[in-house]
Amino acid sequence: MRRYVQAENVYALPLLQRANPLDLVYVGYGLAIVALVFVSYLIGTLGWLPHDPRAMNVALINAAPFTPGHLLGTDFLGRDLQSRLILGIQAYFLPGLLAIAISLVGGSVLGILAGYRGGGWEILVSYFSNLLDSFPRLVLILLVIAAFKPDIYYVMVVVGITGMPVIANLVAGKIAFLRQKSFIEAAHALGLPAHTVILKHILWLNCRAPLVIQATLGMAEAILIETSLSYLGFGVQEPTPSWGNMVQAGSNYFLQGNFWPSTAPALAILATILGFQLLGDGLNNLLEGKRRA
Amino acid sequence: MMLLSIENLRTYFYSRSRRAFVRSVDGASLALARGETLGVVGESGSGKTVAALSAAGLVSGSPGVIGGRVEFDSRNLLDGLEGYVKVEERDARVMAVEKDERGWGKRAESLMAGVRGKEIAMIFQNPRAALNPYATVGAQLVEAIRLHTKWKSKSEAKERALHWLERVRIDSPRLRFDNFPFGMSGGMCQRAMIAMALCAEPSLLIADEPTTGLDATIQARIVELLEELKAETAITTLLISHDISVIRRISDRVAVMYAGTVVESGAASQVLRPHAAEQHPYTAALLASIPSAEAIRGKRELRAIEGEVPDTIDRPRGCRFYGRCNRVTDAVRGRCANLEPPLAELAPGHKLRCWLHAA
Repeated sequence: MRRYVQAENVYALPLLQRANPLDLVYVGYGLAIVALVFVSYLIGTLGWLPHDPRAMNVALINAAPFTPGHLLGTDFLGRDLQSRLILGIQAYFLPGLLAIAISLVGGSVLGILAGYRGGGWEILVSYFSNLLDSFPRLVLILLVIAAFKPDIYYVMVVVGITGMPVIANLVAGKIAFLRQKSFIEAAHALGLPAHTVILKHILWLNCRAPLVIQATLGMAEAILIETSLSYLGFGVQEPTPSWGNMVQAGSNYFLQGNFWPSTAPALAILATILGFQLLGDGLNNLLEGKRRA
Repeated sequence: MMLLSIENLRTYFYSRSRRAFVRSVDGASLALARGETLGVVGESGSGKTVAALSAAGLVSGSPGVIGGRVEFDSRNLLDGLEGYVKVEERDARVMAVEKDERGWGKRAESLMAGVRGKEIAMIFQNPRAALNPYATVGAQLVEAIRLHTKWKSKSEAKERALHWLERVRIDSPRLRFDNFPFGMSGGMCQRAMIAMALCAEPSLLIADEPTTGLDATIQARIVELLEELKAETAITTLLISHDISVIRRISDRVAVMYAGTVVESGAASQVLRPHAAEQHPYTAALLASIPSAEAIRGKRELRAIEGEVPDTIDRPRGCRFYGRCNRVTDAVRGRCANLEPPLAELAPGHKLRCWLHAA
């Protein structure tokens, strides 16, 4: 049954009723992927894998999917692809969260300083983001790898720091918006302590939606960078599986007709990144799109 | 017994575009007795709002408040702050201001602790912008109540919030409680703002152009509400408006501000009486510029005040209104041009800053 309400009360409708169905599909798919990744990560951590991901089986190399005992087939050493795919999530899961945490916390702090104090902080943030814009991210990461060692956590710290300016600009923009309306002044006039205004009213109430969106997009980016580096051989090293080095290892057999061992992880990358991106986009439309004062 | 008395308040801002210091408030003095409503009138740029914000310690911008006394409930809210500021003046112009912002800020905050929001509450023009767009009106009201009153638990505070929404005459408060600001009309938002300001039962309410930006019919309603609340709570109010009809309706006393200072103050009936004998020429000009019913019927032309509010970068040598004054006579012209008139008390409570009426 369709319910008609006054325009002013549209926001009284449950989110599901006023949303664009396509956005709901996006978000639904994204959430399913996030859930799948999370559950798979737990399974990998607990070691409940169907096979030992390092156990080779020379009798059964490059097996096709649905081979009995190996749902997704095996790779060129006869290792179970399903187990390796699940374990491959370990390569980016925690490092990705670390990168997101760094860019959210650092970016919020910079954004608050730029928006609240202005002056030097504002200039710092704008120079910082210009500097990063003028420098390819991957090159920066390779530089760090060359200077230190090919450790995924070093890489993710770089990813986190390079993600900070986007968040900082977002938070500073929100503060400027609220300042131009007299809300921040009014909150001070009401006697609210500065930390309540900053943390509760600005960050939590006004910035949470865009920050969650940025976090999902940041995760997608982190996965992409991890898999790219592992593909290039700068990330996770064999025999530890990562979706990136699995694609790389499988690609040697690709032209011999065994396309599956590299296609499976490639599809996993595609589906996962698409999931995080669509989740971010869908949430953006649902939470940010029309809810303007 | 004065609740608030502002003496010789000075608030300056640095204008980047003009590379000079603007004296937004320059030696203004105002006083409010307990329970009375003081209306502050003046053109835009006369320093009304900045004076009120300075009193509440809410000036953002630099250098901001420079000095003066703001005595609230017999304590000076600017006590000992002058030590943090050094002003360098040359040829009636502020050349440099040295202000230890950090030290000033710390001391000012400690002087203001427990005062702002609790004892001095404020309402603003454009109420919708003054509410957090992402929190419901109820949640914001509950926050203010839990911060300032003895109702600390969520359910008690909600009860109290509904009580206040009812008191500011918001229809169906239970429904409005869960509304976001954008779901409410401007008048409704202003009512909610008034509830938030009054919930702490402050002794002073500063209303900064509370009706500006609202529809004419809603303006009248808000003025009615302020009148009713004034009668109910006997709250002391500093009402800033350039709408003289609003001021006339709710003020007991009126102060007229011009170019950063008070040029006339006294009982509302006295100051705002048209064609009064003892009146500042600026007040007279302001009153002449209001469209009255008879003026409209008689198709008389409205009289705008000639000229503009002078920029307050250079301290004028004589009277600040001299350049626009149409009442100046040859007898006083010399003094008007060269000497600033003092704020002289003509009759008990009626003060005037004009050489025409100086003793």
